Amino acid sequence: MSTDELLHLKDVKKYFGLRGAPWRKAGAVKAVDGVNFVVRRGETVGLVGESGSGKSTLARVATRLLDPTAGTVEIGGQDVTRVRGRKLRPVRRKIQMVFQDPQASLNPRQSVGTILTTPFRAQGIRPTRAQLVELLRQVGLSEEHLERYPHEFSGGQRQRIGIARALAVKPDLLVCDEPVSALDVSVQAQVLNLLADLRDDLGLSYVLVAHDLAVVRQVANRLAVMYLGTIVEEGPAAEVYSAPAHPYTRALLSAVPVPEPGAKRDRIVLTGDVPTPIDPPSGCPFRTRCYKAEDVCATVRPVLEPVAGGEHRVACYFPESPADLSSPPLSERTP
Amino acid sequence: MPDQTANNQGATHYNGSPRPVLEVADLHVTFKTEGGLVPAVSGIDFSVAPGKTLAIVGESGSGKSVSSAAVMGLLPPNAEVTGEVLLDGRELIGLSSEELRRIRGNDIALVFQDALSALNPYYSVGWQVAEAYRLHHDVSKKEALKRAVRMLDLVGIPSAEQRAKAYPHEFSGGMRQRVVIAMALVNDPKVLIADEPTTALDVTVQAQIMRLLEDVQAEFGTALVLISHDLGVVAEVADDVLVMYAGRAAERGSVKDLFHRAAHPYSLGLLGAMPRVDLPPRPRLATIPGSPPSPGSITTGCPFQPRCAYAHLVGERCITERPELTPRPGEGYHEAACHLGRRPEVML
Amino acid sequence: MPDLLWFVLRRLFATVLVMLALSLAVYLIFYALPADPARLACGKPCTPDRLEQARHFMQLDQSVIQQYLAFLKGIFAGRTFGEGAAAVQCNAPCFGYSFPLARPVTTLIVDRLPVTLSIAIGAAVLWLLLGVTLGVGAALKRGKLFDRLAVGFALIGIATPSFLLGLLAILVFGFWLNMVPVNGYVPLTESPVDWAWHLITPWLVLATIQAAAYIRLTRAQMLEEMNLDHITTARAKGAGERRVVAVHGLRGVLVPIVTIFGLDLGALLGGAILTEKVFSMQGLGELLISAVGQLDVAVVVGVTLFSAFLVILANLVVDVVHGVLDPRVGHA
Ligand SMILES: Nc1ncnc2c1ncn2[C@@H]1O[C@H](COP(=O)(O)OP(=O)(O)OP(=O)(O)O)[C@@H](O)[C@H]1O
Ligand SMILES: Nc1ncnc2c1ncn2[C@@H]1O[C@H](COP(=O)(O)OP(=O)(O)OP(=O)(O)O)[C@@H](O)[C@H]1O
Ligand code: SF4
Ligand code: SF4
Ligand SMILES: [Mg+2]
Ligand SMILES: [Mg+2]
Repeated sequence: MSTDELLHLKDVKKYFGLRGAPWRKAGAVKAVDGVNFVVRRGETVGLVGESGSGKSTLARVATRLLDPTAGTVEIGGQDVTRVRGRKLRPVRRKIQMVFQDPQASLNPRQSVGTILTTPFRAQGIRPTRAQLVELLRQVGLSEEHLERYPHEFSGGQRQRIGIARALAVKPDLLVCDEPVSALDVSVQAQVLNLLADLRDDLGLSYVLVAHDLAVVRQVANRLAVMYLGTIVEEGPAAEVYSAPAHPYTRALLSAVPVPEPGAKRDRIVLTGDVPTPIDPPSGCPFRTRCYKAEDVCATVRPVLEPVAGGEHRVACYFPESPADLSSPPLSERTP
Repeated sequence: MPDQTANNQGATHYNGSPRPVLEVADLHVTFKTEGGLVPAVSGIDFSVAPGKTLAIVGESGSGKSVSSAAVMGLLPPNAEVTGEVLLDGRELIGLSSEELRRIRGNDIALVFQDALSALNPYYSVGWQVAEAYRLHHDVSKKEALKRAVRMLDLVGIPSAEQRAKAYPHEFSGGMRQRVVIAMALVNDPKVLIADEPTTALDVTVQAQIMRLLEDVQAEFGTALVLISHDLGVVAEVADDVLVMYAGRAAERGSVKDLFHRAAHPYSLGLLGAMPRVDLPPRPRLATIPGSPPSPGSITTGCPFQPRCAYAHLVGERCITERPELTPRPGEGYHEAACHLGRRPEVML
Repeated sequence: MPDLLWFVLRRLFATVLVMLALSLAVYLIFYALPADPARLACGKPCTPDRLEQARHFMQLDQSVIQQYLAFLKGIFAGRTFGEGAAAVQCNAPCFGYSFPLARPVTTLIVDRLPVTLSIAIGAAVLWLLLGVTLGVGAALKRGKLFDRLAVGFALIGIATPSFLLGLLAILVFGFWLNMVPVNGYVPLTESPVDWAWHLITPWLVLATIQAAAYIRLTRAQMLEEMNLDHITTARAKGAGERRVVAVHGLRGVLVPIVTIFGLDLGALLGGAILTEKVFSMQGLGELLISAVGQLDVAVVVGVTLFSAFLVILANLVVDVVHGVLDPRVGHA
């Protein structure tokens, strides 16, 4: 129970009930299906995975915006799974969320000043103007922006306002869900640099949810890879990027195009689609697309186990070893 | 006649390479809106030869989609289009709507970014692909459907015959994009314009789709205009690149010119701002300060001037005089619109 | 499809429950009223004795629950009021007996239904055609004269009460211009031409009122639909503008229109009260109104239940049709 653990999710599940036509049978989307996840002070954890893998859902459960179906959420060493309403205030002081779409997450009828006042109010505090100006300064805006409205800002500036709002209560941990994916490259770089600066200046920790692996590589020092609601690999970012152990991570990394004309790369082009989270495959969730799948993969879901005894862990019966990675291209191997 | 068009000064292409099938010269698009005139595209030139890929890159609002819609004749009535769009030497601007209709989807086809909204939710995918065929061929519905199934099979839809009866929402994002590509290719177009064809897709699926486009090109010799903001994708598939900024060309050249000898501060800024998955993290990403201007807001001088880190090296000229595209060292026709005579260095 | 069958069965079962609750509610309301139907039935010089007799005959001397149970039993087994030669027989399915009109409620409804059906269906066809055509036209000519006229017409239709429009129409076409009959109904089986000729004014009046909503709905839906990406795709494929509108644009407008249309028609079949009144047509609405005036509980319950049934049925049909028209229904 060290206070170094800002966030600890234990075996968290989140299922969504399905509503279809009244005469069709209902099911459940297993958006998050048994995840253990720890963020320690000073860390920036990248959470990557394809669309629908459950990243946003996990982020929302972690920030107590969604109730988990099962499992516990500990924030700052305290079990807050069942904390609700006013009691949630002190929790919100520790963990805040930044959303993807800066346009949609800011109320267009509120001035920036009002937007920034809201989180203080939620804590029962009346902020001074100086406090608000300081927030703006932290995200690279200035006092003159206080009276303006969201539509008067560019996308990147709006995202800065979203970050300033999250910073208002001086949280320890910022959960950012796709903070830059709606932004242009040049603006994206500004926001990524800002996140790095805030980490250095304020000692913030982050969970950075993103589907862009290059963005995550730039800022994360730890990486967790999700597939169909489970974490299939996690570890120090440098290690996972240079020596991915899970076949999915390896395929994912190899598929990211690099701005280097004529670069020859061992690309693993996965066949097929991500299966539906309503009815995930038995055993290893990745086995329907895996180029290494064997019979055993269909039996029991593999659990995260350390690779070479370190922090780096992978959930796979036949993980890649660094030696495999230098072997000839696997490009055309199919399940 | 053919000589005349080949000598068209705007449509530059290199000597020795096959004659371009699509040549666009001095294209201007202005929207008449309640807020006044919006010059979305202010004079761009590009051309693409059979089997080749031209990438158009640039930030949001730089006029990429408007340019492609102008080529297809798909802009709303409040748009005024001038310039030349030559398809196999035939001028498209000013054609009657019926003549244009015959060319659209037949000689030039378009693939959109968001395949879900690009498909009609109420009709089966087979029907939609077949419709595209029937619009340009006098065949029975049955024959058209047969052709559609063949196309769906070609783009890698498993058990195409049955899946043709399914509706768009029953497909995954990647499969939908395959359907849209099948629909675009069903009439063997000479030119395929793909507007951010993989932006909405996951990287693993993006890799599948880009490979599919490459295969199609190799097989049918289709000329591809790829609109993208992802420099990674561009580096992998493009032969030539046009960098757009605020409705104008900032730089153009071969893909190697762009990535190895970028001559415009904006191109360089884009490259520096891009995080890389294949390299260890940099202490800081290079950034371009500010954000892209809205169309028409910069009327004199270089449109990039307010954000340019090199403007002070040039001085007044950047504010007073608009830079024209001028030749730069490189393979063939590398050009950049910048007063800075030499190559800019990376600055952080 | 067996899923669909199950769905329909479940909904029908729920419908029965709703109707039970509704009929009980109507019973209780009328029981709570201070007026006494038996007093009306008993005639002018009404002795306490005769009143008691009437009460017994009409089975009003029983408790409200007993009356209600007798009503339910009558549906399956029929009912007999009084004894001996004076006895009145109401055969199963007996939905009550109207003493003021001296007829079983079922017979009354069956008699009146063709009038209401004629008015409702004829008007519905008209307003659907009118509403959708004008709505589509207005959307395609957005901001032009046609659009303004259509929108203006819709405004008039929405703002004018139907009885006012009805009376005006009678005044102008019936009396001044003497073009059409001002009232009465001729059965279709008797003379189709006279049938239509007598109905034309109520049709036009109802259609004008209703079309307004359809013009606005169609116009809004069409504007939205024509802005969708798949419309651009259709153009990019090489579809001509007419095909784009007819095949791709209208298809998406269909679903909301059909939904509203089903519900409106269901409601109207229960009786176009004001229209029937204004044009003196003996339809269900007219039946209901006079029954309320006469405290004729049996007819009120019967017609209310019948109208409610039509509305619920319309809902069910709309749900099923929606599922058929929109392939996305039922998928997450
Ligand atoms: N409120 C909800 N109701 C029902 N299903 C939901 C809900 N929210 C998410 N889901 C489903 O849960 C799964 C995981 O969704 P989630 O948004 O967490 O994915 P993600 O990894 O964030 O994807 P993306 O990269 O597209 O944002 C998806 O299949 C999604 O459809
Ligand atoms: N119908 C229109 N009326 C007025 N202005 C328009 C219209 N369509 C586009 N524009 C303007 O033209 C400019 C160029 O738009 P365009 O869609 O071509 O950008 P883009 O380069 O494709 O950007 P993105 O990467 O966001 O797709 C934008 O500033 C846009 O606001
Ligand atoms: S467990 Fe089996 S199927 Fe799953 S990733 Fe490992 S090898 Fe592939
Ligand atoms: S012309 Fe001047 S402002 Fe424009 S890009 Fe070149 S140096 Fe920068
Ligand atoms: Mg998400
Ligand atoms: Mg675009």
